[in-house]
Amino acid sequence: MRSKAAPTPEPRFDELIHPSTRLSIVALLSSADWIDFAFVRDRLGLSDSALSKQFATLEEAKYIAVERVVSNGRRRVRVRLTESGRSAFEGHVAALRAVVATAESISATL
Amino acid sequence: MAENIDRAEAGRALEEIEVRRRQIVAEIDVPAWYWWGLAAGWVGLGLVTVAGIPWLSVVATVGFGAVHSAVATRVIDGRHRSPQLSVRADVVSRHVRALIIGFLIALVAVTVGIALLADGLGAPQPVLIASIAVAIAVILGGPRLMAFVRRRAERSEGM
Repeated sequence: MRSKAAPTPEPRFDELIHPSTRLSIVALLSSADWIDFAFVRDRLGLSDSALSKQFATLEEAKYIAVERVVSNGRRRVRVRLTESGRSAFEGHVAALRAVVATAESISATL
Repeated sequence: MAENIDRAEAGRALEEIEVRRRQIVAEIDVPAWYWWGLAAGWVGLGLVTVAGIPWLSVVATVGFGAVHSAVATRVIDGRHRSPQLSVRADVVSRHVRALIIGFLIALVAVTVGIALLADGLGAPQPVLIASIAVAIAVILGGPRLMAFVRRRAERSEGM
């Protein structure tokens, strides 16, 4: 449920986010303050190394922040979307919606 | 690049985003131990009342309220069921705390109502009967209440 005051993001297709695995990762992160590495791995059915590789790409772009914490005596890796990552994701979603809306308006006029 | 993807691809991407959002929505809940603890506390208060020691009833009620307040502030927002993630506040209904508090207030009223009814019917230990009945309602009704919260979050617009 989003705030009614939230501004509509500018459509901006993001090639870094669009590939399906990274899109899934960022989509998961967009609904959470932070998520444990294992949660993302299990939901996406990826290996640790495959997920680490995707995280590294997103972290390099400063779209995500990876934090190592100790929780209940266990070392955990937590990942969260940064402000720039959230902004890029929202722009990307707006761009996808614009593609769908444009296609629908064209087919309606035919 | 956006102009290079077609409607079908954009639609698939939006569907994938919605699937992932729902996976987070599925995590909206309060820990199961909260409902069991609440139910145990309810029965405990019933037992204390049955003991017929007024000062003990007062101490137990105040203690229960204090412990519940301390615990509830951390768990009844529905965002921290799992230690594996924290659900964003804007994904969860702003009213979830009010819903749970309202549920508890209703249960207090139901407890009194059942106790009076049982007493009127001449049942032995009407307060204990009422507290056990409401404890069962807490264990069964609490998770249903949170399922309702999740359904509402699922239906709400994503981004």
